[in-house]
Amino acid sequence: MNDRPKDDRDVRLERIFAAAKTASPDVSGVARNFETRLMARIAESRGSGEPWYGWAWRLAPAFIVLTLLLGAWTLVFDPVRATDPGTMLVAVAEQVTLVDDLTGG
Amino acid sequence: MREAVPEPQGEDDLIRSALAGDDEAFAGLVRNHKAAVLRTAARFARNDAELDDLGQETFMRAYQSLSSYRGDAPFGHWLSRITIRACYDFLRERRRHEKDVSLDALAYSVADPSSGAVFSSEQARLILERGMSRLKPADRLVITLFELEDRSVREVAALTGWSETLVKVRAFRARKALKRSIGGENER
Repeated sequence: MNDRPKDDRDVRLERIFAAAKTASPDVSGVARNFETRLMARIAESRGSGEPWYGWAWRLAPAFIVLTLLLGAWTLVFDPVRATDPGTMLVAVAEQVTLVDDLTGG
Repeated sequence: MREAVPEPQGEDDLIRSALAGDDEAFAGLVRNHKAAVLRTAARFARNDAELDDLGQETFMRAYQSLSSYRGDAPFGHWLSRITIRACYDFLRERRRHEKDVSLDALAYSVADPSSGAVFSSEQARLILERGMSRLKPADRLVITLFELEDRSVREVAALTGWSETLVKVRAFRARKALKRSIGGENER
């Protein structure tokens, strides 16, 4: 009893396939001047080389990631995060000494 | 059984010239093969605009990868693989945006097997279009190649790049899914 509907569906499917196969699709309308349209598209794609800013946009995600990493690194490794005036003064003095050493002052 | 299509004369020359940058030679290749490519693509496209897009996409891919054609198989076979790949990608892309095709005009009573109905090719095409629109792209591809184009397992495997076992499994599942899809529609 349960097999009966399955058989019917198989038969129906075969009929549908058989009917669909009898007619080969009519492609004559699209085939007309097809190569002319295609060659125009190829010529167009060849002529429109990508401008330099196209590459710049592609690099944008990399720059965003780099910025985020640098931001995170600054937050984690910044040694002068102290808030008391004494530590800040020492840090400033160290910077002044460093600048003097580097500039010969 | 599919007949072997003879290689058009001068095909190698056309390929060499096209590779050297001769656009007219590539246009000659397109002229030789467009009918076969469009006939295959027409199994997947719903209208002339889609067919034109799909045909052009196929030949654009062929143009861009022509240098990879080694000549160890007929050009038509190489192009068939590109066609099938393009059709598969097209189906996957379309599935993302697809809505049910409206087939209000279709008389589903003709699909009643007990009536011994005979389908016109247009009715069959519409029923299949509707039924297959619910299938996965891979299932649809395998059904089209097997049932409508009468390709063998080996041919389908060569065209798609899937193993023969995978092709058989997909064909079995696809047929089952299509039966369910069309049957369910008819039982509403």
